[in-house]
Amino acid sequence: MKKMVRMLRACRSLFWMQLRDGLQYRMAALAGASTSIFWALIEAAVFRVFFLNAQGYQSALTLEQAVSWVWLGQFLFVMQPTMDGEIRKKIINGDVATELLRPMDLYAHWFARITGRRLSSLMTRGALCLGVGILMPAGWGMLPPASLWALGCFLISVMSAILLCSAYEMLMVSLRMSIAAGDAPVNALLLLGGVLSGSYLPLMLWPDFMQGFLLIQPFAGYLDIPARLYLGLMAPEGLPGALMLQLGWTLVFILAGRLAMGRRLQRMVVQGG
Amino acid sequence: MSKVKMNGVRLYFRYIRMNILSQTEYKGWWLSIIQVFLNVITDPISTILMFSRFGSIGEWTMPRILLMYAMAVTSFGLAECTARGFDAFPWRMVQSGEFDRLLLRPRPLTLQVAASTFHLHRLARVFSGLIAIFWCLVQLGVGFTPLRLFLMVWALAGGCVMYSGVFILTSGLSFFTVRGLDWIYILTNASYQVPRVPVEYMPRALKTCFTFLLPVIVISYCPASAICGWGEPLWKGLLALPAGLLFMGFSLGVWRFGVRHYRSTGS
Repeated sequence: MKKMVRMLRACRSLFWMQLRDGLQYRMAALAGASTSIFWALIEAAVFRVFFLNAQGYQSALTLEQAVSWVWLGQFLFVMQPTMDGEIRKKIINGDVATELLRPMDLYAHWFARITGRRLSSLMTRGALCLGVGILMPAGWGMLPPASLWALGCFLISVMSAILLCSAYEMLMVSLRMSIAAGDAPVNALLLLGGVLSGSYLPLMLWPDFMQGFLLIQPFAGYLDIPARLYLGLMAPEGLPGALMLQLGWTLVFILAGRLAMGRRLQRMVVQGG
Repeated sequence: MSKVKMNGVRLYFRYIRMNILSQTEYKGWWLSIIQVFLNVITDPISTILMFSRFGSIGEWTMPRILLMYAMAVTSFGLAECTARGFDAFPWRMVQSGEFDRLLLRPRPLTLQVAASTFHLHRLARVFSGLIAIFWCLVQLGVGFTPLRLFLMVWALAGGCVMYSGVFILTSGLSFFTVRGLDWIYILTNASYQVPRVPVEYMPRALKTCFTFLLPVIVISYCPASAICGWGEPLWKGLLALPAGLLFMGFSLGVWRFGVRHYRSTGS
C-alpha cells in the first residue's frame, strides 16, 4: 500500500514537471497554434463551399456546427496520440535499461509523463487556437455550447479523452518496444486512430451504413464524442453511455499495453555496459 | 598522383545510393513504404466522402479537385525525394552541430545538405500521386497529346522546385530559431490542402497568398486548367516552372544569409 502511494506521488510530480516544461516554450506554442489556425481556416473554407453551393445538400449537421467542429477538432488534435519523441529515442538507443533502474513501474512512469505533455499542449497551442476560433466572425468561428449542461458534459468527456489518448499512445509505445521493424507499423496504427477520430471529417458525414460502427469504435472518443456533446448533437443524457465507451476502451488499451510491455521486459537483453 | 575530382552530380548520386543501401539493411524497410502509401490515400478521404455525400459543386467534380490535389502532392513528394536533407536539416544538423563538418569539406554546401538524407519510402507519395493524376485525367476524359504531357511534366517540375525551395527556406530560418519553426507546416503539409477549395470559391486573401507568396495555385490549378481546358490560357499554365524558380531563388537568398550568420554551437 505504501509503495502504491509513493508511486502515485512520483507520477504526480512527473506529470507536473512535463506540464511546466511544455508551458515554457511560448514561441513554440505560438508557431504551432498558427499552423492549427491556418488548417482550421482551410477546412472551414472547404465546408463553406460544400454547404453553400452543393446541389444535393443533405446533412446531419448545419454549416455553423460543421465549422465549430473544425475548431474543436484543431483544439483536441494537439493531444492525439503520437509517438513521444523522447521515449522513442530511449527505445532506440537502449536507454530503457536506465529507466528500469528507477524504483518505479515503467508503464506508470511513462503514462504520467505523456499525460502531462498532452495537457500542456492542450493548454497552450490548443487553447490559443480555440480562442481564435471563438473570436472569428459568425459563419467562420465557433458556436457557443448548446447549453450549460452540454458544456459540462463536454469537459468531462474531454478528460476521459485525455486518458484514452494516453492509453493508446502507451499501447503504441509497448508495441514499438516489441517489434524490431522500425516506426512504420506503429505510425500506420496511429494514423488509423486519427482517421477514425473524426478529425478528418465529422463521423456523422461519413457514409450512413457505417454510422453504427463509427460510434462504438474506440477512436470516436478522441474527438467525435466530446464534439457531439458540445454541439448538442448528443443530448446530455447520452453522457453515461459515452463515458462507458471512452473509459471502457481506455481500460482495454491499458491492459493490452501493460501485457505487451510486461512480456517484452521479461525477455529483454541489455547489451553493452 | 592524378587528381580525381568528383563532380557535383556524381557525388549527389553517390550520397543517395549510400542512403538507400543503408536503409535496405533493415529488415522490414518496405513496411514504411506501405505506411506512406496509407498516408497518401487517407489524406484526401474527407474530400472524397464530402463529394459522395453532397454531389458536385457546379462544374467542380471530384476528379477535378483530386487532380489538382494530386499534382500538388506529387510535387511535394518529388521535392521530398530530391531535397529531403533540407527538410530534416534544422534538427539533424544545426541542433547537433554536425553542420560544422559540412562546412569543412570543399564541396558545394547545398549539395551536401540536400543529399544527406534520402528516404526510399518517400517515393510512395510520388507513385501514388502519379497514379491519382492518371486516374483523374481518364475520369475527366482528357485525351493524351504531347503538349499536355509536356505541360504536366513542366508543372510537376515547377512544383518540385517550389517545395524544395520551402525546405531550403526552413533550413535558412533555422539558423536563427529552431524552436518555434512549427509554422513552416503551413508551407508544406498544409499548403497542399489549398487546391481542395475550388478557385472561384476561395476567399480572396487565401487566393492571393497562394498565388503570389507561395505559388501553389500556379503549380496546380493553372496548369490543370490549361491541360483540361477549364478556361485558363496556355501561358498561365506555363508560369508553373518560372514561379517555382522564383520562389527557390528567394529561399536560396535566405539560406545564404543564414549560412553567413551561422555560429557554431561548439562541441
